[in-house]
Amino acid sequence: MAIRKFAFLVVLGLMAAACGNGSGNPTSSGPKHGGTLTVAIGIDPDTLDPAAQTTTTASQVVDMMVERLYTLDSNGATQPQLASAMPTTSSDGLTYTIPLRTGVKFSDGTPFNAAAAKAGLDRLLNPATFKTQPGVLSVIDTVTATDDKTLTVKLKSPFAPFVAALTQTNAAILSPASLTVNGNTPAQVKVPVGTGPYVMKDRVNGDHIAMTANKDYWGSQKPNYDTQVIKIVPDDPSREALIRSGGADVIVSPPLSDLPSLSSDSSLKVLKAKSDRTLQIIINTVDTNQPLLQKPEVRQALNYAVNKDEIVKNVMFGNATTLDAPMSKTLFGYCSVGTYAFDPSKAKQMLQAAGASGMTVKLGSPTGRYPQDIKVAQAVASYLHDVGVTVQGPETSDWPTYLGHVNVPPAQAAFDMHFLGWAPAYLDASQQFEQFRPDRIPPKGLETSYYANPTVTDLVTKAAAEVDQQKRKDEYCQASKQVWNDAPWIFLYNQSFPIVYSAKVTSVGAFPNEKFDTRFASPA
Amino acid sequence: MSIRALDTAEPGLRDLTAPELGAQTARGRFWGKLRRSPSALVGLAILALYVGLALVGPLVAPFDPGHDVLRDQFLPASVHHFLGTDDLGRDEFLMILYGARYTLYLGFLAVGIGLIVGLPLGAASGYFGGWVDLLVQRLTDVLLSFPGILLALALVAGLGVGLRNVIIAVGVSSIPIFIRLVRASALSIRELPYVEAARALGVPNWLILLRHVIPNSLAPVIVQATLQLGAAILVAAGLGFLGLGVQKPTPEWGSMLGEARTYIFTDANLVTLPGLAIFGAVLAFNLVGDGLRDALDPRLK
Amino acid sequence: MLTYVARRVLVSIPTVFGVATVIFLMVRLLPGDPARVIAGVLATPEDVDRIRHQFGLDQPLYVQYVTYLFHLLTGDLGTSTRTGQPVTQEIVSRLPYTMELAVVSTVIAVVVGVTAGVIAATRRGSALDLAISALAVFGLSMPVYWLGLMLIILLAIDIHAFPAAGAQNPLGFVLPSITLALFSLALVARQSRSAMLEVLNQDFVRTARAKGAPLRTVLVKHALRNALLPVVTVIGLQFGALIGGAVLTETVFSWPGVGRLLVDSIFSRDYPVVQGVVLMLAVAFILVNLLVDLLYAYVDPRIRYS
Repeated sequence: MAIRKFAFLVVLGLMAAACGNGSGNPTSSGPKHGGTLTVAIGIDPDTLDPAAQTTTTASQVVDMMVERLYTLDSNGATQPQLASAMPTTSSDGLTYTIPLRTGVKFSDGTPFNAAAAKAGLDRLLNPATFKTQPGVLSVIDTVTATDDKTLTVKLKSPFAPFVAALTQTNAAILSPASLTVNGNTPAQVKVPVGTGPYVMKDRVNGDHIAMTANKDYWGSQKPNYDTQVIKIVPDDPSREALIRSGGADVIVSPPLSDLPSLSSDSSLKVLKAKSDRTLQIIINTVDTNQPLLQKPEVRQALNYAVNKDEIVKNVMFGNATTLDAPMSKTLFGYCSVGTYAFDPSKAKQMLQAAGASGMTVKLGSPTGRYPQDIKVAQAVASYLHDVGVTVQGPETSDWPTYLGHVNVPPAQAAFDMHFLGWAPAYLDASQQFEQFRPDRIPPKGLETSYYANPTVTDLVTKAAAEVDQQKRKDEYCQASKQVWNDAPWIFLYNQSFPIVYSAKVTSVGAFPNEKFDTRFASPA
Repeated sequence: MSIRALDTAEPGLRDLTAPELGAQTARGRFWGKLRRSPSALVGLAILALYVGLALVGPLVAPFDPGHDVLRDQFLPASVHHFLGTDDLGRDEFLMILYGARYTLYLGFLAVGIGLIVGLPLGAASGYFGGWVDLLVQRLTDVLLSFPGILLALALVAGLGVGLRNVIIAVGVSSIPIFIRLVRASALSIRELPYVEAARALGVPNWLILLRHVIPNSLAPVIVQATLQLGAAILVAAGLGFLGLGVQKPTPEWGSMLGEARTYIFTDANLVTLPGLAIFGAVLAFNLVGDGLRDALDPRLK
Repeated sequence: MLTYVARRVLVSIPTVFGVATVIFLMVRLLPGDPARVIAGVLATPEDVDRIRHQFGLDQPLYVQYVTYLFHLLTGDLGTSTRTGQPVTQEIVSRLPYTMELAVVSTVIAVVVGVTAGVIAATRRGSALDLAISALAVFGLSMPVYWLGLMLIILLAIDIHAFPAAGAQNPLGFVLPSITLALFSLALVARQSRSAMLEVLNQDFVRTARAKGAPLRTVLVKHALRNALLPVVTVIGLQFGALIGGAVLTETVFSWPGVGRLLVDSIFSRDYPVVQGVVLMLAVAFILVNLLVDLLYAYVDPRIRYS
């Protein structure tokens, strides 16, 4: 009796499960419009609240629904989005006057205007906003709606990359009317409503986010798919299995080792998008445990000892370019400053001359934070071993534990060298130089080489307030040369951001800060 | 008896708490039976292979598997590389070989922790009764309330990853099962006439525990410890697989398997082989454990 | 009976309290600053401080503990530091997926396991018995995550028969359910085999057979019914293995259940969710075992007075 009842319940449960799973199947063919696009990403967004965004993949999902005053184009240049043109700047660099688009409506019908734009930025700056991340935009002093189509922003101090910083997802403009409906509160937004080409439909945490096309989208390009489903598939090979079997139309970050075979598959296309992320072995430049690392010539020798081209080719499977500056090529302020060509015998000589032959260093690396991270660290250890350096490790752990070991003041440093990536989200050299400013040494930042060179500090400080863009560029270039020479890092590579999509889809793009762009994708 | 541990649900084990094992003939029968048990023999053979490889392997191995030759990555099996090479060009056979040492070491230490803590606590709990028993039993209840891998998972998350912490975590999670086992047998032994007599004669409690209580519970403990070795290896490898266990570059099978998932399309062998190694080790301990139980359990003659 | 029930329920209360305390302490030992992890590497120190304050992580440990216990009494498991949603809501939204796997796996394990066990017992010593027993040991020794990956290689990658990941496809539950079921199946098969053997050896069964009753009748009418009780116990107990297995299986198959929620939360230092999930699973396990005990006591009155 009891068993029969149990069996009945089981059958009921199965039926319910089957029904619950029946919806949202991908259709990968169809007309130029309509149908569903399924995109598989690896990260489950913590929250879709623009103000609390920390990862680029999650930000891109939000960007499909909510727009900002300015945006990056696919080359990384700043362009107006909800602003109608670039702002005018006062001569002291403190006041920005931003002209706004007219006739734009949020997807809930609320008109977009200066008051809405002001509310968006104010919300980001308001400490009561849940997990808000104003970051560099804390430089904003006041935001004023001068009239319906003009916004005036006053800064606390001059900040040259201000407009670029406004392209970040956290500066997105939400419909003011949406902040009190659908479970949203002014402090915390669960369903973001903006002016973007797609509108949130539903979300199952850990599984998917579904969006429908915004039929009244204001832009000249229109959303082509009726629905886009963002699937959460944390495991790289599982995403690959999905696109190979037709369960997804677009995937980001497949296993790097499979890109050659994916590229040769005629039903698939591979886009190796540019990235802003540099990867490096950071050296403790004030190391007391291994004081030899305090000498620039020792650090240079380590740069010569590591075969970066081989690492790029065999560990990154060609999905990176060797660094020739302490930042990626996509940044404003980049200039090529040199190479440390692989030369183990030179490295050995330099180490010997500095009395560092056979020195021992402890190396740390995270596991699972960057593509191939621990593998790269192991390869580096192997190269250092070849020039007579004894490497302890690489000691590794998951990201939060690792960050806890690394994010410490010099006196508590756990490693002599450690692997880290750095990705300046709005593509400005000022963000990269957060890594070389002594005022960003933990706990005030994440400058974990503890590097300090007054020449660099002066140049960077000057550049941050410089209004003349060419002068700013030159200052960063000069600072880069100095950093390169001082070698606080073993400069490794700038990774790329691979996206694989079905040949049945067209117009899949990317931004050079590891954001994919399927907003205007359409059936091929 | 609020929560019974999973493995004690095995038939016979629960009734096995106080077997009469001591006479010379019984011991002879035991070995005779064990020798005739095919499962135990197969298990012992696999174990001997693993132990042999773990001990001899490093002596004859041509090079250190921790050193990589990037150009040789993903080579197929050949005369030079018995099982091919991994993503960093290291010999997969040697990696697995070295893994055997870590796996056995980890399993024995973890179960050792379970025994060292579990035996005295269980014996005291059953023998003394009263508040000692109450305290130990509540503690055991709490530990047994974490289903499956969960206690080890939570512990290792708290302690941090790495070989030592994995041993502690897996060790702690095997404590309660030994407490339960020894307590049950102590409960029955303390009522036996000769134990009561010893007590009346003024033999100190610790001596009674050492001479009578613990030896009398050894049979089920040996069986359980063998099975627990398999379970410990399984849990430790599971943690490694999740990235919460022994960390790279230590060639631990679970973490090798977890890392190799990325290459499931490129070189599926890197996924298959470490898993096979784990499976073999766990199987061996389970087979030996089964054989021991059959040999020790009077009911299944 | 009522006193027994009351006593057993009362005994469970300190256990739950102990579990809650142990979980709180373990989770607080986690290395790494959660505020920093939440904020991301590019956050300013002010951002990090604000987040630390928003989650009460700047409070002394005992204050956090008292708050935690107090909230627990009111059924409040706290707020996820990752998503800002109530932990109960996070768990409830993931629970159906885990339940789906658990129920399907249990059904597979019981149906296949009992059948195999009974067949093995009635043909004791035959080749079939040997094969079933061997397969059962294999099942108990198989790492679930490895089994899952092997199934993915064979059935999802090589022949595209089933999806390798996710819960959206109606066939998506097949591979994870099989993976999760195997351990329990092996356990149930072994248990049914030995329970059945025991019953078949008892006098009343022998008598029935001696009287000429056909084997099928004897099995169904007498043996199976008596052998079922120990099997029920195993089904209760394998719940623990099922939960442990779910953590690994859901990770292998990108399945959005509570197991993966737990692993993700450990990696993102989401204290409240780790606490909540572990507590929820432990309490569920305690309850299942309580039910099994009560069931036992109901059937076998001797237990109540022991």
